[in-house]
Amino acid sequence: MRVIAKYAKDLKTHFEVITVYDEEIIKESISKENPKIKTVMRKHPCCIWFERKIRDDFGIQIEDAFDKRPLLHHERFPQDIYPMRKDFIQKEIDFTDFVPYIYETIGGDGVFEVSVGPIHAGIIEPGHFHFSQAGEDILHQEIRHFYKYRAIEKMLEGKTLFEAKKIVSRISGNESIAYQIALRDITLDATKMALPTSLRVEHAILLELERLIHHFTDLGFIPNDAGFASALAYCSKLSEDTRRVMFRLTNHRFGFDTIGFEKLNFDIPYLKDFMDKLDKEIDFFENWIMDIPSLWDRFDSTGVLSKENAQQYDCVGVVARASGIAIDRRDNKFYRSYGFEICTQKSGDVGARFQVRLCEVKNSIKMIKRFIEDYRQNSMVLKNGDIKDGEYFSFVESSLGEVFMTIEITSGKIERFFVRDPSFINWQVVHRMMPNNIIADFPLINKSCDLSYAGNDL
Amino acid sequence: MIKFWLKRVKQGILTENIEFDYELESIKKELKKSIKAKFAGSLAIRMVDSGSCNGCEAECNALSNPYYDLERLGIYFVASPRHADIMLLSGLVTFNMTPHIKDAYEQMPDPKWVITLGDCPAMESVFDKTFAIKAPAKEHLPIAHHIKGCPPTPEDIIRGLLEFLKR
Repeated sequence: MRVIAKYAKDLKTHFEVITVYDEEIIKESISKENPKIKTVMRKHPCCIWFERKIRDDFGIQIEDAFDKRPLLHHERFPQDIYPMRKDFIQKEIDFTDFVPYIYETIGGDGVFEVSVGPIHAGIIEPGHFHFSQAGEDILHQEIRHFYKYRAIEKMLEGKTLFEAKKIVSRISGNESIAYQIALRDITLDATKMALPTSLRVEHAILLELERLIHHFTDLGFIPNDAGFASALAYCSKLSEDTRRVMFRLTNHRFGFDTIGFEKLNFDIPYLKDFMDKLDKEIDFFENWIMDIPSLWDRFDSTGVLSKENAQQYDCVGVVARASGIAIDRRDNKFYRSYGFEICTQKSGDVGARFQVRLCEVKNSIKMIKRFIEDYRQNSMVLKNGDIKDGEYFSFVESSLGEVFMTIEITSGKIERFFVRDPSFINWQVVHRMMPNNIIADFPLINKSCDLSYAGNDL
Repeated sequence: MIKFWLKRVKQGILTENIEFDYELESIKKELKKSIKAKFAGSLAIRMVDSGSCNGCEAECNALSNPYYDLERLGIYFVASPRHADIMLLSGLVTFNMTPHIKDAYEQMPDPKWVITLGDCPAMESVFDKTFAIKAPAKEHLPIAHHIKGCPPTPEDIIRGLLEFLKR
């Protein structure tokens, strides 16, 4: 069984801890006096962060946990504050005295530590990486995040689904369309509406376009981190071209606030023309990049994640597929009928993750072409029905992997919002890619996974 | 590789042949001049993300693509605050990032300026105030200039930098 997410809720009389597996959902009631749960982190190591987050958010103790350090609450965060409890309503908290965070390190003669971040050398998001080194060799790495913790879950409580849309759009810029589609599915579910195919096709085009933009960026940055800058020049051009197409279709370069119940009606000949061009460009790119031995020397056998480890950590997305796990939320009848093929690799190294991206780019272009054939111009506005109270779930495959979103609605307002970015799971497995690698390869390995910090930290 | 270079030669220079209007061309010229006059030829920027959605970072990365090619104007993104003239600050200034931003600012050599990028650091974005957000940034650092947008396009960023240099 695969763990998808684990989170808690503050119900008036008690807490509820919910573990979502791929086959079942387990709910535990926890008393508010002396709240505690038993850990599942020994069986499912991806639950380490979920459980540490539950402790920070609700003050529910994890009884037999081997890692009881705070996760979201950094050195200067006030102790004994549990912000996701309903009785916490403060809008401002003050910095307290510095309480040091104890990193996981390896000691010994000549072993030293390297700490990187939160502010990194490139133009990227903040996060901290803590290495234990024996010379150049990485012995162990701890990843520490949540520098971008904005308390989105708390922010959305008490809002209607409509009010939440603008914020959900901006949780993670690279996956905006995917997040919006997750919210769309929940809205449809809550209003008992069905989605007309023409609208579904339109949104699917945008989702694939977003995937193209993100994958192009990665296909450029991965070789760039191995010192091959011309690939970045080539791919950043393709990425910019695609972003401009996104602008043309949605009036926004990232597609913020575009997924709704009103048809946008795309300029299809223009889109088709662009896809034909892209097809040729990516063929050229593939022929060229696969034939550069010095580059593949760096890619092959660097940052290997074995299939066993990927399964043990319940990995999702590109990282899982590159390690031979065929898991993709698009693997369904709708996408299959438009030519979806799952892209997997066996070796689990940087090269495999690069090739999975390349394969998905080609598949996305193929699917967009098929979507275009089926595209109908029509004006359509779905009227919002009444939102029924209840608990709703949705899954979307973003460019990084499976996004899981759940919303509980009470009297038309959001009672609890929870979203699990694919990065939240995948970040926890990155340290398993480190042994037998040198620290100079870390940026390359990190980029090959290209995980989100914003979606992870919320 | 030979195929790549052939294609490269055939393609020519993208930076000058795209649909940039004349206005932007003149802005770029002006920009080059003012950088030369005020910063001895190069302007070093340290980009710091204090809790954005990654949109602003993606657009800053886009500034180095062949269409915008910011570096040819003498504006560089540098790897450390200690090399920087300007801190470009994006994001909501989260509780957890605030001490690190102040630290980065202290590390910058004088003279130094902070430019806020995007609606978030000015607390003008769609996000509501929560306990984990310390924006607006002006309560923590002296802000010299602000570039609006959610996220600002690469053109907006170039324009914004010019406006700052003009002052």
